[in-house]
Amino acid sequence: MKKPRVAFFDFTCCEGCQLQVANFGEDLLDILNRIDVVTFREVMSEKSDKYDIAIVEGSITTEHDVERIKKIRETAKILIAYGSCATIGGVNGMKNKFDLAEIKNYVYRNGAKYFETAETRPLHQVVKVDYSVNGCPVYRPEFVKVLKAVLAGIPYHVPDYAVCGECKLNENECMYDKGITCLGPITKAGCNSWCVNNGNICYGCRGMVTNPARDGEAEILRKYNIPLDWIVNKMDMYNKPRELEKQEKKP
Amino acid sequence: MRQHVVLDKKDFGDFIKKLARLQKVVAPVRRGMKNYAFEEVKSAENITLKYIPTILPPKKYFMPQAEKLIEYGVKENKWEAVLEYEKLIIFGVHTCDLAGIQCLNMVFTDKPKDINYIVRKNRVAIIGFECNEYCDEYASCKVMNNHFPNGGYDLFFTDLGGYFMVHINTLLGESFVEETGLFKKPGENNFKELEALRAEKRRIFKDEVDVKHEGLKPLFGRSFASKIWEDLDKRCVACGNCTNVCPTCYCFDVSDDIDLDLNAGARSRKWDSCQNEDFAKVAGGESFREERANRQRHRYMRKFNYPIEKYSRYFCTGCGRCSRTCMAGIKLKETINSLAKDGK
Repeated sequence: MKKPRVAFFDFTCCEGCQLQVANFGEDLLDILNRIDVVTFREVMSEKSDKYDIAIVEGSITTEHDVERIKKIRETAKILIAYGSCATIGGVNGMKNKFDLAEIKNYVYRNGAKYFETAETRPLHQVVKVDYSVNGCPVYRPEFVKVLKAVLAGIPYHVPDYAVCGECKLNENECMYDKGITCLGPITKAGCNSWCVNNGNICYGCRGMVTNPARDGEAEILRKYNIPLDWIVNKMDMYNKPRELEKQEKKP
Repeated sequence: MRQHVVLDKKDFGDFIKKLARLQKVVAPVRRGMKNYAFEEVKSAENITLKYIPTILPPKKYFMPQAEKLIEYGVKENKWEAVLEYEKLIIFGVHTCDLAGIQCLNMVFTDKPKDINYIVRKNRVAIIGFECNEYCDEYASCKVMNNHFPNGGYDLFFTDLGGYFMVHINTLLGESFVEETGLFKKPGENNFKELEALRAEKRRIFKDEVDVKHEGLKPLFGRSFASKIWEDLDKRCVACGNCTNVCPTCYCFDVSDDIDLDLNAGARSRKWDSCQNEDFAKVAGGESFREERANRQRHRYMRKFNYPIEKYSRYFCTGCGRCSRTCMAGIKLKETINSLAKDGK
């Protein structure tokens, strides 16, 4: 089988998800046996405009980004949204909380006139996305799973149940039992509760489950005496662009 | 074969040490502030004897969270069944969890027999441990008839103050007694104290719900259309905690995981949950239990209604894990009482 040509691209992001690929260690050799990386700004100087698979990190935050991602989409047979910024908007989405002109002036001060800005959008709100690797950063074992699905030409299903499910299987003490607010109950699983296994809370970086229970969540917040604003604020850290979801349904 | 032996508390440390030399021993260990989990132990110091039911029941040793079933090669068109198991002693299993293991045994030895489960089960030794009082307010072991030992173990320990009264139930259990060499013959006094504890337990443990043991099946049988399920629909977040921690939930999903070279791979099964959004989803995107109310009802029916028809046994052990772990505070005892009230 001919190795597919793979290009990594980044839009608005920290490039930390791409760093996860560089961090694979020896397993990276197995991956490189299966794909031919032709563009990867973070780790190599060579680049090429001919590629089969585009792995795209980052969110779309300017008009220029829109043009660029459309071109990538036209070239690539397969487009993989890679990491929270690309799949749900990520931390960059916090910008959407503010008036755009106002926040631009706040950030760039006197230089603001030299920059354009637009609402932060995940890739699927701009172009068709074939596969998604969620997470901030991506969970490496899941990236390998997605890559295998791409190579085999089969779909990859992101689990659509809460992180709690995986967390329970890992027998972690529930954060809520420790008196700490955690986004596990409304966040998509698939990360093997990576953060909670290591003593941290779930920040919702994989996006919300498609059918969250509004009343149930309210019940949990009441039970632990947590104001709704807290949860919304926490969720907005990664998930603000979800509010643009509906109006983006048009082709 | 002797029926009962006695182990002095001062010899408990030696017992665990000797047991751990024979083979791997797992026992309840503290996990965080309020939780416990079965973990490997080398000495008695790590074991917590007074514990509320562990986060996951001992079923994780009988059907692991993820279990390889088959290894395959694509090019050679080769399939090979895989059986992964180890010899194990589980120490400190409460009577509710013994009942849970008995339920799983019924399911997996029924046709079609589950070879992986049976092979593994036959290598696990079980040492039960009696609860002298209620673990907490979530338990409903009395109404489920699981507050006293009812078989399903090799040895069974009862804490009687300065010593443990130990019931020997199998030859394997007897071999542990012989090989560790720490047990004594019980005196008449020991039997009296055991009887006194059991009498006290009969006094403490009372039906935890407004329905009798025999009344549960008819109650659930007539509750299919109850409004109570709608109330659960509003509260449930479908996280699947209740089924994951249930000692008798055994549903699993089977999936293939192929190597990067797309030539060799493995088929494995993982715990699944009827509470998950896509559990009852079929080709075409339809779901048979789209509403959380339907999924919760299904969970309850699988404990109190359907298994009685199939196995003549309730599949709720009364351990209380589902209530203890529910993010939204759905409590089994409350649900039963609400259904009983609703049906009147």
